[in-house]
Amino acid sequence: MWIQPDRTPAAPHFSCTKPTSVGPRLALRVDFCRRSAISSPKPLQLILARQLASSLAMPIIIVDTLGTLIYYNEPAEVILAQRFEETGEMPANEWGAAFAVTDEDRQPIAHEKWPLVIAITQQKPISRIIWLRSPDGHWRHINWTSVPFIAQGGEFLGVQSIFWEVA
Amino acid sequence: MEVTLWGTRGSLATPGPETARYGGNTACIGVRGREGTILVLDAGTGIRRLGTSLPAKLERVDVMLTHLHMDHVQGLGFFAPLYRAGVNVHIWGPASATMGLQERLKRYLSPPLFPVHLSELPCNATFHAIPNGEVEIGEFRVTADLICHPGPTVGYRVTDGQGKVMTFMPDHEPALGNPHFPNMPFEWTSGAHLAANADLLIHDSQYSSQEYWDHCGWGHSSLAQAINFGRLCEIRRLSTFHHDPNHNDADLDKLIADAIEETHPPFEVVPGCEGSVFNL
Repeated sequence: MWIQPDRTPAAPHFSCTKPTSVGPRLALRVDFCRRSAISSPKPLQLILARQLASSLAMPIIIVDTLGTLIYYNEPAEVILAQRFEETGEMPANEWGAAFAVTDEDRQPIAHEKWPLVIAITQQKPISRIIWLRSPDGHWRHINWTSVPFIAQGGEFLGVQSIFWEVA
Repeated sequence: MEVTLWGTRGSLATPGPETARYGGNTACIGVRGREGTILVLDAGTGIRRLGTSLPAKLERVDVMLTHLHMDHVQGLGFFAPLYRAGVNVHIWGPASATMGLQERLKRYLSPPLFPVHLSELPCNATFHAIPNGEVEIGEFRVTADLICHPGPTVGYRVTDGQGKVMTFMPDHEPALGNPHFPNMPFEWTSGAHLAANADLLIHDSQYSSQEYWDHCGWGHSSLAQAINFGRLCEIRRLSTFHHDPNHNDADLDKLIADAIEETHPPFEVVPGCEGSVFNL
């Protein structure tokens, strides 16, 4: 037990008595059909990534370690043809099925070779120019860049994908 | 548990008659459990008085640093148990990708900034990179996780054997430029899981709502943001903390009253005054 410090005159305690109200299926080699724990606390790094993405003009999606789409910004809503406010988080087999992806010769790219999937499974950054068909049927010529988030302790936290439209 | 505020000032020690009531010492709080476990959270200049008040037969004390900014470590070299042979002093702090905790602290606790080398201290000092997750220290379960502040910074959630919870986030900017804060879901708010349903939240409340926008990104919160963060986390009591050096006692009385008027918190707001004691 320590000796209590000298008490200085206390400032008034404030309290408020007025109550306020508290307030087509993918078969990827990563276990994409497992659903992440929706509503689990997000690592600070992902919180900061979301805040940054929400202020940028490039389409950005963020997935967790299982590939669950946990956030996409407003520019990415065009590519996904859905609003994040309406979809919320989506497991990989759900959002992945919305796309078709081909190489520049219009040959389909297998799911496991998608930059996002490589960034998850191999935890390395990758960039590739592809053609991407959105759910609205629109084909876009895209430089798809995916970067894994690695925490200071070496923990893999998820992946950020950026979709640069090729001029 | 008993929680004592030994230093509540942010950024820079600010002694003087105009700050006597809220106090001029920088961040340091003591937590004492019913079985005698003692935790010291942050080592600002307030730690000097705390150190002199510890029992002579002290065997172990744990100093848990939220981060290594100067106002949170400046008092460490004046912490009496460091100079007592046989006392086990465990120092915890956030991990770095490039350098251990002891090496980082040595930058300050060595010449020319400080006359004594860490390695020369007579106590048994042990340094721990705090893991994200839980550690058991005596009768306390301490949960730590990174929170939004420049550089590696953690918040601490201390739970005692009776299930009482005190959360300490002296430097924290969960709003980070969001004018609509806290409009994000709970799980997307920095530190929310650490503060959830806390019996006492000691939280950064450095600025007025107007001042915040001139300091956005500096890692601190306004009083209104601290209250709204507490509302989101459904806490039971908030103690304001990390007072701006430019705010004297009269300023702080008014700023806190204004913030309460602005936000109507559904919990008690206790101005963080040096010397205040909370029994949970």
